Amino acid sequence: MTAVAAGRPGAHRSAKARRRRRSPALTVIMLVMFVYAVLPLFWLLANASKSGGDLFSTFGLWFGGDFHLFANIGDTLSYQDGIFLRWFGNTVLYSVVGAGGAALLATIGGYALAKYDFPGRRLLFAMVLGAISIPGTALAVPTYLLFSRVGIVDTPWAVLIPSLCSPFGLYLMRVYAADAVPDSILESARIDGAGEFRIFRTIALRLLAPGFVTVLLFALVATWNNYFLPLIVLNTPDWFPLTVGLNQWNAQANSGTSGAGDATYQLILTGSLLSIVPLIIAFLVLQRFWQSGLATGSVKQ
Amino acid sequence: MRTLPSRVVITGAAAALSLSLASCGGGSGGGASDAAPAAAAPSASAAVQDALTKPAELTFWTWVTGIEKTVARFEAKYPNIKVNVVNAGQSADQYTKLQTAIKAGSGAPDVAQVEYFALPQFALSKQVVNLADYGAGALKDKFAASAWAQVAINGGVYGIPQDTGPMAMFYRKDIFDKLKIEPPKTWAEFVEAAKKVKADNPDNFLTTVDPGDAGGVDSMIWQAGGTPFKTSGESNVSVSLATDPGVKQWVSTWSTLLGEKLVDPQPGWTDEWWKGMGSGKYAVWLTGAWAPNGIVNSIPKTRGKWAVAPMPQYDAAQPMNAENGGSSVAVIPQSKNIPAAVAFAEWLNSDPEAVKSLNEEAGLFPATKALLDDPAFRDAPLDFFGGQKINQVLSDASAAVRPGWQYLPFQVYANSVFKDTVGQAIDGGGDLNAALKAWQDRITAFGTEQGFTLSSGG
Repeated sequence: MTAVAAGRPGAHRSAKARRRRRSPALTVIMLVMFVYAVLPLFWLLANASKSGGDLFSTFGLWFGGDFHLFANIGDTLSYQDGIFLRWFGNTVLYSVVGAGGAALLATIGGYALAKYDFPGRRLLFAMVLGAISIPGTALAVPTYLLFSRVGIVDTPWAVLIPSLCSPFGLYLMRVYAADAVPDSILESARIDGAGEFRIFRTIALRLLAPGFVTVLLFALVATWNNYFLPLIVLNTPDWFPLTVGLNQWNAQANSGTSGAGDATYQLILTGSLLSIVPLIIAFLVLQRFWQSGLATGSVKQ
Repeated sequence: MRTLPSRVVITGAAAALSLSLASCGGGSGGGASDAAPAAAAPSASAAVQDALTKPAELTFWTWVTGIEKTVARFEAKYPNIKVNVVNAGQSADQYTKLQTAIKAGSGAPDVAQVEYFALPQFALSKQVVNLADYGAGALKDKFAASAWAQVAINGGVYGIPQDTGPMAMFYRKDIFDKLKIEPPKTWAEFVEAAKKVKADNPDNFLTTVDPGDAGGVDSMIWQAGGTPFKTSGESNVSVSLATDPGVKQWVSTWSTLLGEKLVDPQPGWTDEWWKGMGSGKYAVWLTGAWAPNGIVNSIPKTRGKWAVAPMPQYDAAQPMNAENGGSSVAVIPQSKNIPAAVAFAEWLNSDPEAVKSLNEEAGLFPATKALLDDPAFRDAPLDFFGGQKINQVLSDASAAVRPGWQYLPFQVYANSVFKDTVGQAIDGGGDLNAALKAWQDRITAFGTEQGFTLSSGG
């Protein structure tokens, strides 16, 4: 941007030349990064398409003798009475309700912290910052004991309720709301006689939409990949999300003491492949909002 | 942001610290918590028989695949009792959940699978019911001595043996034949065989040793005549990993094997390991009798190439074997219907129909004498093993298990730090003696913290 703005004469040519010039070192680094990012995915795809017999007897980074992906998908979806689909549904439930709720609560809370002056506001915000620094893993066991008292252990609530709290999202929305919602708009709305909730709903929420999507994406990824909390609070496989379920299959395949066992390695690979597809789609669809959201935030004032 | 009071951060950090301590506590403390109400044995065992006819609902935590079929047989036979089979996680995952639920006072199952190595921990902290109070002592003669010894702890009976894993040597017959190696009968021959494999192709190894598998090394020390862990009473623990003669015997052989790079320190069950097992990079797997399932399911293309032989011996005149893996079924004091839970655990693991189903439908290696000695079981040839009657070798391996082995009352923790100590030496070619001493120090420090009296007995 600055290069184009500076020195009008000849700017066209130099910009063009700059675009043409390639840095071999950077290209190599980019290629290495590309391989680093894509290789595991390719490995997953290649191995998920192998039959059980080929899995450990053919080269790891290429496809096996025959293309078995669709048969594997069929097996994965029907194994143990189709529990994979149930796990998939659970993960969708936890992510959509958990992440949606977390983003909404973070937006409401962040807006309130940014725009209202009330006693204890600073203390509350400091506590939010403190909460970010405590890893969720450390809270899992006390959370369990608490839920056990309330009697919601081993129910979906035990996963959903903690997912609704996103201190990081709240922090992000507070910072975002401070800039994105000008005080003058709020004041003029108040003068026009709008109630506080109406102001939030009709004005602030719209201005905050890009921030909302950002928090939603973060929360979506976090709840989709959430492992430790559901591992602790859920015992019944019927309520497991994909992460815990797939790990259970993995543990089962990795132990001779687990009994007759089945050749579950392909199911784990295929299941892992299937479980990342929705995240890839969510990113492709939502990244537009994300980019524009961040840009909007930075140029607003 | 700069005005953030430091107090808040400090409180937060302290809270996180105390919480993480709470989560590692593991609940193996020596203190007795909620003990089961003990009843007089005769009336209690009558209550157990009685419970089979009354309506009841039980929850059973297990990770054995295929066990639902055996449980269905129980429900068919005793239609008043409904059993919910739940896979709550495997091994350490399940133990964490079980202990948390027991501490929380609700949410624990009635009956749970507990591996032998973890049972003393649950038994000493009274987190499982002493089944002797319900007349389970009468079942002793039904089980292989090696199995019963692992549930009879401190004068009580804390689980019903479900399956066992007497050690054996699974080997690639095709490779042995090609290199003209006889299955080694002694560890000295084993070292020679390892040299032959190495001489034939420097990329190949006779076998692997998993630097993260404490259980595997425990079993090999057991097989070498070692008893490095001893518990007497409820709180006296002695650890002698640095001095026990059996441990020394294991160290002398495995220092040679590892020092001369004759075995591969490769974690088991990984992609690389299975590939090596399939391709012939590795020729031997020293493990429990449950191994055939894994081989048959994971590397089906090696059909017909495997065979089984007894473990190599240190002293061929006095053959000794050990157990590797295996589980018992325990009853949790929280159960609202302990007699029914005991009756279910007993039937599941000792009734001839159930035991046969566990073996054939769930693939477990048996723990009962009746099945281990059953000619139909012993003499069944297995196609996958080139028609070898492998159960003969494995049943004899069970009978040869050396009595007297004990696990620590906090073996789950001890196994979890094995990787950082002995595992490092196995992986990096360090001094095994020093590493065993380091493991002993970690165990001693933890045990003392937990309130046990530790000694480094001889």
